[in-house]
This record gives sequence, C-alpha cells and structure tokens, in this order.
Amino acid sequence: MTVLLIRPDSWNLPLLLHVGGAMALVASVTVAAVALLQGWRASDPAAASLKRFGARTLLYAGIPSYFVMRIAAQWVLSKEGLDNSNAAWIGDGFLAADAGFVLLVIAAIVANLAVRRDPESGLGKLAKVGAGLSVVLIALYVFAVWAMTTKPS
Amino acid sequence: MYGRRRMGYSTLLFLHVTSAFTMVTAAGLFLAIALAQQSDRHSATALRLAPVAAILWPVGSLLAIVFGVWLALHDSQYSLGDGWIIAAIVLWVIGGAIGGRLGAGYRKVTSSGAAADPSALVMNLALIVTLLVMLIDMIYKPGAS
Repeated sequence: MTVLLIRPDSWNLPLLLHVGGAMALVASVTVAAVALLQGWRASDPAAASLKRFGARTLLYAGIPSYFVMRIAAQWVLSKEGLDNSNAAWIGDGFLAADAGFVLLVIAAIVANLAVRRDPESGLGKLAKVGAGLSVVLIALYVFAVWAMTTKPS
Repeated sequence: MYGRRRMGYSTLLFLHVTSAFTMVTAAGLFLAIALAQQSDRHSATALRLAPVAAILWPVGSLLAIVFGVWLALHDSQYSLGDGWIIAAIVLWVIGGAIGGRLGAGYRKVTSSGAAADPSALVMNLALIVTLLVMLIDMIYKPGAS
C-alpha cells in the first residue's frame, strides 16, 4: 500500500491558492505580532509607529489573506468531494480557520481602534489585546498546519 | 509497518511545511522593513523588525532544505534526481542568497545606523517571486509521474 502523493491536476490551482493564502496570512499576523510586541517594549514615538504598523498589517494584509486561504480551502474540498466529510483533520481545519477569523477580526478592530483613539502614544490596553490575540493566532495556525499535513484520524 | 512509514512521512511533511511557512514569514518581515524604510515616520519600525527577520530567515530556510531532502530520501516515490526537486533546490539557493543578503543589510542598518540599501525593495520583490515559483513547483511537481 502506498500513500497517494500525486494528485489530479485540477486540484493544483485551488491548493496553490489555499497554501499561498495561508502562508500570506501567517506572515501578516506574525509581522503584526512582532510590530505590536516590539511596540509594547518601546517608548514613544517608536511605540506609536509600531502600533500603527501592526494594526494596518492586520487590517490590510491579514484579513485579505484569510479570505484567499478560506475560499480556496472550500474550493479544494469541493474538488476532492469532501464537502460533507466528517474527517477529524477537516474539522480541525475549520476550527482553526473559523475561530481564527473571529480572533483576527477582533485583533484588527482593537488594534486599529487603539491607533484611532491615541495615534501618537504607546500601545495602550486595546493594542496590547491585539498583540496577545496575534500570538494566540500564530499558535492556532501552527496547529492548523499540523492538522493539514498529518491528517490525524 | 505502513503505520510507522505513514507517521514518518506525515511528521517530516509537517516539519518541512512549517519551515517553509517560517521562510515566508521572514520574507514578509523583510518586505515590511523595506516598506517601513520608505517613510521617515516608520523608520523606527524597520529597525525593530530586523532582528526577528534575521533569525527567522536562516532558521526557516535551513530547516526547509533539511526536511525537504529527508522527505525525498524517505519516500520511494521521490528521488533527489527528479526535475521538480532539482528545480526546488536551485530556487532555494537563489532565495537563500537574496534573503541572506537582505538580512545582512538590515543587520548593518540596525547595528551601525548605515543608510538603507536603495535596491532592497527590488531584492524583496525578487525574493517573493522566487518563493512563489518555489511554491508552484512544490504544488504542481512538474515532471512527476
């Protein structure tokens, strides 16, 4: 018995968009997390600049990347005929993607709200919540990569 | 036997893909630094992101090639002589050279306050194109039977 390593050609484009979107999502959230965490440690005006950069990255890079990843995921499932599958790894993927989206939106809102309320000062409570959520998201994405690659039953 | 083999393949794939995600994350940080350097307002941001990118790039790229080669050796359906694997290794060398140069340049800016390299944005775009072609090669596996 061998593992199926070569997939039908028609699955490749949606898979490329799914993996590419996921990579862009992880990179965006990590850039935001690093900027916000560094802003936490920095003093003004560097902290204000880092806060703004992190908040904008979540909004303009993180959320669009999420949609590319998520829409392509549904496309891959449809191509593979797994729309109604109860496989554990698919459930794990949905959990990470959908719960992660809620956290991503909250992180983007609170970080951008912090910038709007106080654009020239350090992180403040709201942006610190955004920083914390970004770190939680990175952990969730590592779990998603584990589930997608190892496909636990 | 099958279970053990499957487990080994899955674990190696997870480690290889996670390393690739780390590479792309470092490239994202490199791009963020280059964009931040375009305006005086965000120049402090660039200096704060550089040390993290300088760690993630070498770690991610080294682990990606180690686990990638291990994966090719581990599974009988792959061979290091396959065209798409050779292409991936060549792209990895090109990407490694660009990323290494970007990382060294940013480290210099951070440590000595030297002026930013004006070609950094072009090098960032070249790195992103290289990583994108590498991803296409990994997904489509041209020439694989």
